[in-house]
Amino acid sequence: MYRYDEFDAQIVHDRVKQFRGQVARRLSGELKEDEFKPLRLQNGVYLQLHAYMLRVAIPYGQLSPRQLRRLAHVAREYDRGYGHFTTRQNIQFNWVALKDIPDVLETLAEVEMHAIQTSGNCIRNVTSDHFAGATADEVMDPRPWCEIIRQWSTFHPEFAYLPRKFKIAVTAAEHDRAAIRVHDIGLHIRRRGEAVGFEVHVGGGQGRTPHIAAKVHDFVPEAEILDYLEAIMRVYNRFGRRDNKYKARIKILVSETGAEEFKRLVDEEFAAQRPDEKVELPRAEIDRIHAYFAPPPLSGRPARSEVFERAKAADAAFASWAEVNLYPHKQSGHACVTVSLKPVGGIAGDATDTQMETVADLAERFGHGDIRVTHAQNLVMPHVALDDMYEVYRALEAAGLASANESLITDMIVCPGLDYCNLANARSIPVGQAIQREFASVEDQRDIGQLHLNISGCINACGHHHVGHIGVLGVDRKGEEYYQITFGGRADEKAAIGEIAGPALSAEDVPPALKRVVNRYRELRTDPSERFIDVYARTGLEPFKEALYAADQER
Amino acid sequence: MTSVRPKLKPDVPKAITAWHTASGEVVWMTPKGDWTSNPDALGVFTGEVAEARLADARAAEGEVTDPYFMEVSETGEIRGRETLRETIRAQGPTTHPEFAKGEAL
Repeated sequence: MYRYDEFDAQIVHDRVKQFRGQVARRLSGELKEDEFKPLRLQNGVYLQLHAYMLRVAIPYGQLSPRQLRRLAHVAREYDRGYGHFTTRQNIQFNWVALKDIPDVLETLAEVEMHAIQTSGNCIRNVTSDHFAGATADEVMDPRPWCEIIRQWSTFHPEFAYLPRKFKIAVTAAEHDRAAIRVHDIGLHIRRRGEAVGFEVHVGGGQGRTPHIAAKVHDFVPEAEILDYLEAIMRVYNRFGRRDNKYKARIKILVSETGAEEFKRLVDEEFAAQRPDEKVELPRAEIDRIHAYFAPPPLSGRPARSEVFERAKAADAAFASWAEVNLYPHKQSGHACVTVSLKPVGGIAGDATDTQMETVADLAERFGHGDIRVTHAQNLVMPHVALDDMYEVYRALEAAGLASANESLITDMIVCPGLDYCNLANARSIPVGQAIQREFASVEDQRDIGQLHLNISGCINACGHHHVGHIGVLGVDRKGEEYYQITFGGRADEKAAIGEIAGPALSAEDVPPALKRVVNRYRELRTDPSERFIDVYARTGLEPFKEALYAADQER
Repeated sequence: MTSVRPKLKPDVPKAITAWHTASGEVVWMTPKGDWTSNPDALGVFTGEVAEARLADARAAEGEVTDPYFMEVSETGEIRGRETLRETIRAQGPTTHPEFAKGEAL
């Protein structure tokens, strides 16, 4: 993984020192909250319902064991013993005292971490495929380009005060695991012969006005990608609305301008760049960054592991977990392991300090020191030998991290909701837990198959409800929590925004209503391999809507 | 950014709540005008007294952050449109009942 050079280290330490001074001035009363707020937001500090929340950047979701142990240390010493992994592959601490935050940032800086680009109207943490560098379906490892874009965007003076926040995601795999089409810019790395280039999608996003990004370029050569991104950002900076925050995201600009005209503006800006403005990225620099992401030295192992097969035969729970939570690795005899942070009745994305240390230890012993955070709020160890899998599983199981539910209905994305968030209208976590309990049986979940259920506590859509196969959106009705259901959303290469089924349901009505919906799906599927989203594509909304409200008709 | 807060008429009983700046802890103004993290000890204010106390709170910007009115009954129970939000602020996340508030600052 990327390691700081002396300049990176200096920038981060200087930033901590600067923020320490700003916090001291706030605590003395020299700075009023209105003056302090933009400063704290530039350092990932929000004021939430109960306390300050510190969001720490995990660039493209990659962590080393040392970093994860340091996050565990922060959770234990400065928070309440846990952290919350987010849909942007970051981590949030919900209970950190403002007076302690400079110390937290200092201890994070020691392990090359910070909270820069986790808030404010800047280019945020670049996100990527959590299996990057490990699967056979990618044309290359996207992380070097994520890192190059991170370095280009960090403290870029031209893009420090954008109309709104700006999110970039990068994938290099045919199957999009990074949800690039619901980002402000989504980049898909392609190859044409020996040449590497980027398919560019612009104007995706969720929130109150969800949009799927428009493709504006099939192939921007790698040498030109930073200039092309700069052209997009300049068009956005110039024409993006600043008079209305709800219309300030680039998705609104692309939508109102029209994708064709927007592309013309970008091409015009790109063509107008003077030679001395161009970002000249020497081949040697590209190669230097790539070298940080050299694949781990995986020894040649047979595709079939007798140890693994024997363990599966002896332990049905392990066999079930292996079936669901392992993803094929490009190197034979290995697999990518999803460490589920979604136990039934738990809190999606939360991990305790000891759980983080368990994963750090396992990654060190068995995973070549590589840990990823997924946008679905799980952790991944991307390079584990099948021979070691049972030992890994048993350690995860002992730590409460072995739920066999990756991409199943209980593996839901859930925002913090009204239990933590100042913006939320309704609680997300309890309704998610109630749905999990309705579908708690592992056999039942496996029979249902892949089903992405996403829950947001307000229209800002941090829980990605718009792109859940089933989406649940909390709404406020005269102080009462209600939940609107959507069907048919998806975040992959066939990205779509879910359709609203109809009137919102009370919290207690949601789990049985979704049970009816899932049962209807089982009736409609031609065979168990036809997923919920496939049936939806074939049948449309009506049968699911009918099942959702069937109880109303009975009353 | 904070949530939208309903405007309360002068005669509606109200408490004043904020966040303790150094810790971020949720606090309420006591009848005497100082701050407590115990919701059972909050003061109930109305009319011009309430406005004056809120102005005092806003002037105390170093100690507390973003003070505002919340609706309560005459005896200090949380009331009104924001009952759920303010109850969660007072009691902690419903998913972590062990975090419920107690001690004064």
